[in-house]
Amino acid sequence: MISISSLSKTYGTEPVVNVSSLSIRKGESFGLVGNNGAGKTTLFRMILDLIRPTEGSVTIEGKDVQGNDEWKHYVGSYLDEGFLIPYLTPDEYFNFVGKLHSYSDADLSQFLQKFEELFNGEITGKKKHIGDLSKGNLKKVGIAAAFMGNPQVVILDEPFENLDPTSQIRLKRLLQQERETRAVTYLISSHDLNHVTEICGRIVILEKGKVVKDMEGGDLLAQLEEYFKA
Amino acid sequence: MITTLLSHGWKKFKRSVAFEKELATNIFLGLIAIMVFGYAIALGFFLEKIITNGFNQPDSVGFLNGLLFYYFGFEFMLRYFMQSTPALDVQPYLHLPVSRRYLVHYMLIKSLLHLLNFLALVLFAPFAFTAVATQAGASAGVWLLSIYLISLCLHYLVLIFKKGLDDTIIGFLVLTGVLGVFALADYYNWFNVSKISAAGFKFILSNPMAIVGLLALLLAIYYFNFTYFLRNMYSEELTPNKSSKDSASQNLAFLQSFGMLGEWANLEVKLILRNKRTRSLLMLSAFFLFYGLIFYTNKTYTEGLPGFLLFVAIFITGIFMINYGQFLFSWQSNHFDFTLTRPVSLAQVVESKYWLLCGITVICFVLSIPYVYFGWHILLTHLAAALFNMGVNVFVIMNLAMWNPKKIDLTKSSMMNHQGVGAAQWVMGIPVLLSPYLFYLPFSIAGYPTRGVVAVGLVGIIGLVFRTKLLSLTTKRLQERRYAIAAGFRKD
Repeated sequence: MISISSLSKTYGTEPVVNVSSLSIRKGESFGLVGNNGAGKTTLFRMILDLIRPTEGSVTIEGKDVQGNDEWKHYVGSYLDEGFLIPYLTPDEYFNFVGKLHSYSDADLSQFLQKFEELFNGEITGKKKHIGDLSKGNLKKVGIAAAFMGNPQVVILDEPFENLDPTSQIRLKRLLQQERETRAVTYLISSHDLNHVTEICGRIVILEKGKVVKDMEGGDLLAQLEEYFKA
Repeated sequence: MITTLLSHGWKKFKRSVAFEKELATNIFLGLIAIMVFGYAIALGFFLEKIITNGFNQPDSVGFLNGLLFYYFGFEFMLRYFMQSTPALDVQPYLHLPVSRRYLVHYMLIKSLLHLLNFLALVLFAPFAFTAVATQAGASAGVWLLSIYLISLCLHYLVLIFKKGLDDTIIGFLVLTGVLGVFALADYYNWFNVSKISAAGFKFILSNPMAIVGLLALLLAIYYFNFTYFLRNMYSEELTPNKSSKDSASQNLAFLQSFGMLGEWANLEVKLILRNKRTRSLLMLSAFFLFYGLIFYTNKTYTEGLPGFLLFVAIFITGIFMINYGQFLFSWQSNHFDFTLTRPVSLAQVVESKYWLLCGITVICFVLSIPYVYFGWHILLTHLAAALFNMGVNVFVIMNLAMWNPKKIDLTKSSMMNHQGVGAAQWVMGIPVLLSPYLFYLPFSIAGYPTRGVVAVGLVGIIGLVFRTKLLSLTTKRLQERRYAIAAGFRKD
């Protein structure tokens, strides 16, 4: 599905990401873990062609993502607030993103129903602009928009960060339910080892831009705790 | 799709914080824009009369043709200062399934919706349909179209210039270099710009097909822009450089010998050098150092209006102090809470800002010394103005800056950016520019203008002598206003 070959990004002389090869299979739930500054977000940005790699390339379904628009139709993503349009209300934003995936009004309201529980009545039907939402609510808007168009790949950067405990559990359930109804590949980064091991069957640890561990199966949580123990 | 994007553009404008909360400012600016456009229309209609009667030029078309190159030079500068790169508007769409080509075309075409793109039409259409039409008949339309096409070429040229070279030393040098060459060429008669310009437009009038060439030029520039932006559609490349490069060199080591005071001043110097808005302010101030050339070279001002020179001198030596000082606290709006929670005395903060503003005034004064070429009294006036700025105006500015300061986003360019402007900024110019006359006028009316200038300087020295007292009064005021200021900064 996604394959990365000799991908690197250097700022000045400082290498931020340096991944020689990594491939993510269809339907896999891929978790990315690493301490601050490990290069998780930079790696995601390069997968989404938001940053020009210094070297190497990322291909999705065999096609280089760079300068290519095709993959955007089946890759949904939310990394940060730069993905949102602050001066729209959440409804207007969903409406807009929905249109890009040729949703009808009925499709849209059906889609949003899935997120009703996560939104907890604070997102839709309100006049508040996205720019005025709290960090947790911003995240909810971004995550919901990432699922529009039933993408085969969903890329989320620290989806649990800033969410209250209830919303964290609801989001986890939502991610799992989505996976049960259709084939979807997740790429999720997180600092929360519990959550990420619950969602992801494969965990990669990134350190100083390099893949230091690629784990699948077994007691992932225990292995992670062992690795990160101070 | 296009309508959705356009409606987003409209919402962005209508729903921006600035629009709602600074409605008065916006209405005021809108009125100014309408006024300027009104003048442009009026000028357009009277252009022929002005040329034939005012300048005594019977061949008004030929005369105007000669001036058009200068007009385009002026338009380029205007565009350089007022036009912004539209690139950032498309950032939230980059990860969505919209093709890049579409977004780039949208961005480039939407950028045409700018008042400046109508200026040339408004200014020259009446002239084209009267003066040019009587002389050249139907070619008048082609004449107007050619002016418009060149204007649009400038539009896209400025876009690419600002994207590639804005905010860089090279860009600044290229700009001043080109202007300098033209000015010198005119002065020393190397080549005559107006003759080239007149010949060019005469050629178009007699060969209407030449318009195709201009059209091709416009398309070529557009295509160049298109490929450039398509290749550089990365948000980290579109955003004004958040450069962390050569940060070490920006550490002014000598400031560290002043202890904490120096550290705060150092922080502020970094703030100025590392943010786009303050950097462009610095550049603008550098441009304004040449302001004196307009007045000092003209005898009407130097001899006819001696008091006016004081105004120019206050402006030249205080330009950065006024521009930067009016937002003195807003610059640090996003870390004002930080300043308040750190173990520092506000007295130190105030004092470091005072020395920073004074230091820059001294630099401005030193840079303006070459104006002595136009006479010793100009140097004297500059010295008096600099002293007055450091002794009196600096306190006026610091205190007025505490009056409901607003939050400022440092990453935006300062050109045509009125974020942070409030009531204080509107009235600030009045005391700063007029108060020296309180001390100057009594002497000048009595027939001793030079003593008046000396008096202004002396008042400045008195202020400098009592600076400790004045600083502690300013600090006290900041102590009282700190919560209100901090609350204002937390609001968007």
